[in-house]
Amino acid sequence: MPRRRHEEEEVEEEYDMEEEEEEEAEEEEERGGKRSRRGGGRGKRSRGVQSYIDDMASEDDDADDDDDEDYRGDGRRRAPKKMKPPSYIDDMAGVVEGEDSDDDGSDAEPANNCVTAVTCAPLRSISGFIDDTDAGAEIRDNNVGRRPIPHSSSMMDDDDDEEVEEIVRRLQKKYETEPHFDYDEEVTEVEQQALLPSVKDPKLWMVKCAIGHERETAVCLMQKFIDRPDLQIKSVVALEHLKNFIYIEAEKEAHVKEACRGLRNIFASARPTLVPIREMSDVLSVKSKSVDLSMDSWVRMKLGLYKGDLAKVVAVDSAHQKVTVKLIPRIDLQALANKLEGHEVTKKSFIPPPRFFSVDEARELHIRVESKRDRESGEYFDVVNGLQFNDGFLHKTFSIRSIRIQNIKPSFDELEKFNKPSDDLNEDVASLSALFANRKKGHFMKGDAVIVIKGDLKNLKGSVEKVEDDTVHIQPKQPRLPRTLAFSEKDLCKYFNPGDHVKIISGVQEGAMGMVVKVEGHVLTILSDTTKEHIRVFADHVVESSEATTGITRIGDYELHDLVLLNNLSFGIIIRVLKGVPGKPELALVKPREIKSKIDRRTSAKDRYNNIVSTKDIVRVVEGACKGKQGPVERIHRGILFIYDRHYLEHSGFICANAQTCLLVGGGTSSHCGNAMHTANPSFRAFSSRIFQPPGRLPPRGSHMNSGGRFGGTGSGGRGHDAMVNRCIKIISGPYKGYRGRVKEVTGALVRIELDSQMKIVTVKRQDISDTAAVATPFRETRYPSGVEIPVHPSQTPLHPIQTPTWDSGATPIRDGMRTPMPSRAWVPMSPARDNGEDGDPSVWASSAAYQPGTPRSRPYEAPTPGSGWATGWGDAAGNPTSTNVPSTPIGQPMTPGPPSYLAGTPSGQPMTPGDAGLDLLSPLIGGETEGNWLLPDVLVNVSRGGDEVSHAVVKEVLPDGSCRVSLGLLGDGDELIATANELEVVRPKKNEKLRIMNGAMRGVTGKLIGIDGSDGIVRVEGSLDMKIVDMVILGKLAF
Amino acid sequence: MFFHIVLERNMQLHPRHFGPHLRDKLVSKLIKDVEGTCSGRHGFVVAITGVEDVGKGLIREGTGFVTFPVKYQCVVFRPFKGEILEAVVTMVNKMGFFAEAGPVQIFVSNHLIPDDMEFQSGDVPNYTTSDGSVKIQKESEVRLKIIGTRVDATEIFCIGTIKDDFLGVISDPGAAV
Repeated sequence: MPRRRHEEEEVEEEYDMEEEEEEEAEEEEERGGKRSRRGGGRGKRSRGVQSYIDDMASEDDDADDDDDEDYRGDGRRRAPKKMKPPSYIDDMAGVVEGEDSDDDGSDAEPANNCVTAVTCAPLRSISGFIDDTDAGAEIRDNNVGRRPIPHSSSMMDDDDDEEVEEIVRRLQKKYETEPHFDYDEEVTEVEQQALLPSVKDPKLWMVKCAIGHERETAVCLMQKFIDRPDLQIKSVVALEHLKNFIYIEAEKEAHVKEACRGLRNIFASARPTLVPIREMSDVLSVKSKSVDLSMDSWVRMKLGLYKGDLAKVVAVDSAHQKVTVKLIPRIDLQALANKLEGHEVTKKSFIPPPRFFSVDEARELHIRVESKRDRESGEYFDVVNGLQFNDGFLHKTFSIRSIRIQNIKPSFDELEKFNKPSDDLNEDVASLSALFANRKKGHFMKGDAVIVIKGDLKNLKGSVEKVEDDTVHIQPKQPRLPRTLAFSEKDLCKYFNPGDHVKIISGVQEGAMGMVVKVEGHVLTILSDTTKEHIRVFADHVVESSEATTGITRIGDYELHDLVLLNNLSFGIIIRVLKGVPGKPELALVKPREIKSKIDRRTSAKDRYNNIVSTKDIVRVVEGACKGKQGPVERIHRGILFIYDRHYLEHSGFICANAQTCLLVGGGTSSHCGNAMHTANPSFRAFSSRIFQPPGRLPPRGSHMNSGGRFGGTGSGGRGHDAMVNRCIKIISGPYKGYRGRVKEVTGALVRIELDSQMKIVTVKRQDISDTAAVATPFRETRYPSGVEIPVHPSQTPLHPIQTPTWDSGATPIRDGMRTPMPSRAWVPMSPARDNGEDGDPSVWASSAAYQPGTPRSRPYEAPTPGSGWATGWGDAAGNPTSTNVPSTPIGQPMTPGPPSYLAGTPSGQPMTPGDAGLDLLSPLIGGETEGNWLLPDVLVNVSRGGDEVSHAVVKEVLPDGSCRVSLGLLGDGDELIATANELEVVRPKKNEKLRIMNGAMRGVTGKLIGIDGSDGIVRVEGSLDMKIVDMVILGKLAF
Repeated sequence: MFFHIVLERNMQLHPRHFGPHLRDKLVSKLIKDVEGTCSGRHGFVVAITGVEDVGKGLIREGTGFVTFPVKYQCVVFRPFKGEILEAVVTMVNKMGFFAEAGPVQIFVSNHLIPDDMEFQSGDVPNYTTSDGSVKIQKESEVRLKIIGTRVDATEIFCIGTIKDDFLGVISDPGAAV
């Protein structure tokens, strides 16, 4: 400041005072601070502080001084005022105000946040300057007595016109020469920056003062400054929005203290706080833009009893920052009556509901109701206990700050409440336009049907042709109006016809879709697609929709009508979720994150007569609460059917019922199939026990199968209480691959595992886990046979009618793949029923198709296997532990055996093998497919771990559980690690490379690849000149 | 509205049906598959009246199924906006009533029921005129006008009105009692 001031003083020598003022004002403004937001009240200084300020505010508009005329006037007025410092100050404030609104429209919103500013510093210099000036002195003399004259016009008849005119001339001259001296709008960033306060400028101090007396204090300080020119403060600022503090600009804290001493509103004890330089400009910048608050606009209350309530502005008093609003009163008349009668009023915590005030009711309670006429509006009010009511509404005046003005979205209900039934909501243009204020961009689109709601062409309908910002061009629907008309967006509202299919795009019901049933002006009644309920919305909140969907159908991964698992016990269909408690449907609002997973399986259940019910079958509920309902089954889970009955309106028409209480209605296509399957089952069982036992089935396994082949299914497929629980397992694929943990729970195909390494429980797919080496047999057993025997379950385990479902459909091909090659030949006679079953059930076919000779790569089956007890046992029995016929594919295993091992291993199996012949038949086939599972030491392999990463490794040792100890690197000189069989892939030898035959009669033989003939390799066996032709798949490249 | 149109469909037939009755099988399967279904475009397939042409079958690799392109004539029913239909009331509630015209479900909102008819709750919810002369309840037959249709892939849903001349109840089961 001082630096500036000096410059100014120099300037002032040349220019007259007016110029100086402008300078000052400009500078003030450019410093980023609105030093003064009030001012301009010339000639009213004798008034009290409060009125003085308000008057200034009201005269703000006058403080326009762009044209010469004004300058002249100002000059004349101001010149005299210079003599009296207070008037000078005011004037300056006024100029500042004027400047603001002229030059910097964006900043200069006419003051909701007011700043009372008194700038003292220039005074001394100015007064000195004035004294030196002849003209100034004269003017002063002449005008002393004239100061209180309120109107500038009266100054025109001043007696020393000439003097004034001289000044004016000089002024004009000055402005001619440098017309844009300070009005240059293109102030560069750098210049702006230079204006920011620096360390050399006076500091800003924040001083605590009595609450509510900020302005007064500022004015007191001003007065004090006038009285005692030796005060060293520069300015005082009282911010409207800051209670309890004023700002004083001064060089030193001592100066501030000096100035504050003795003022009763300033607490002597409080030390002035220095405002950091960086924040100085913030103190005086006005951030929030004022919103023009007009009558009839909608606002919300921020505080108090009516907090959040919608209100309508009735009157605005911008000078006092007050707004009179119309509210639906929340008055407890009884309490009021008691209070008026002088009873003890207990403070109640509840807020009375909004209700229209009724004079009659009040009178009944003996509350005195006065009728009073408002002076200004001429309206009559019922006055009760100081509260004014009109037409049932409460009229109350609030401070502008206690209401929320922006972004008010009155809901339809609120508006409906607000408008008494007699009012027509649609006629209320103001309320409509208030609604439109919140329109999103691009509200209107080409082709939208619209109706004009304002102006001469009101009620004209048309369709939108073009939208340009706020202007919408519409093509009227009147045949005689061929040309498009342009309207302001605000004058238009969307229009719909009954029967239109629409989507709600804003408001509470956002996202819902439905058909327009009724159109009442701008209010639509919509029949929701999903709930079949009526929704009332504004036409403006709706768009026409061609989507054939039913509103929001997705949240994240979940779609409407998906069957989801909530926790172990409950599952439901998303409608707003219907929980699956049979016969007793519960509606629960579930957040997406509470949904555990989607159940996405095709399953079936059995009805009370053991008919298989699958989805889309039509069933009738014959028992329970929903008795008599009938409809197609949409979902099945754990024996509970979710039936869709379109006549049933609750829960979007979904009924859930236990399958046992339902009856399959004939006609569903797949119902036959279900039955057929049912009958076919015995033969299936026949297969499974016959065919599977024989080939390589090992004693423990075979016996197990015999004792209860389907047991496996029960265990693994069913609830989680099978042998797996509490077992230590390892996760072998998926995101948690490599983790070890303990099984907590088995749910269907999912297993919840408590990780050893992390304190958490994760859910993984069943096939993603493998037992650690220490596992006991049963686990494996459960898994394997279940895959094999799925079809058996439905008939065999009545207790768990839907065990199968828990098996991934992915499991099926395995079963087929294993079974069929033989059965299709050997056992066709046994399965006539099965053929029937295929009718219309392509899934069966699809699956059986899957195993056509070419198909079954053994790889898919590898996953679940490794680490099995029985494999070890078998290996031992075979007396060939090193040969590691590791059963990473249990299927393959029985096929492979070198004869000796086979004989040794399956003494008990043998009697059961009528299919022995089939074994031979199979072994080449399957053996050929099972690549890489008969690893031998020194064979080069590719290890794939954790996704795509593949590295070479050399097998060091084959562990009995099927995994291998391998060393990384082409030469096996890298790290050693244990890899499961399915992480390994044998590297096939190329021509002239050393190899080892890994399977067949020549297993273990090393040799060299001489050539390749199709899928066969020509191998020269090491140590001899023999040439052998061997399938390439059983050749593994040797590392060295 | 009903239409008699020709549609085409690829039918998959299991190899076991190959034989002298292949065509019969094909037709019976077609009927089973198609009748009663709804497509958004054509509406409900009410009945198959004849098979125009069975194209050359194509054997599916792997499954052995054979795909035949079949052209068939059928009667379809598709409701249109503005169409007048006769329907049977299936349910009445305070929001209006549901009626069925064959496979199509139609909802008539209470806004689209003449103002002089009021909802009477009770054992048999119904809409009755003030003088009691006309009553809409379950099983009533009404003539209505469709004012809006929503066509899903598998369902057609309509809303209708009876708030117009010559619309309303045409036979009332309650009247007979």
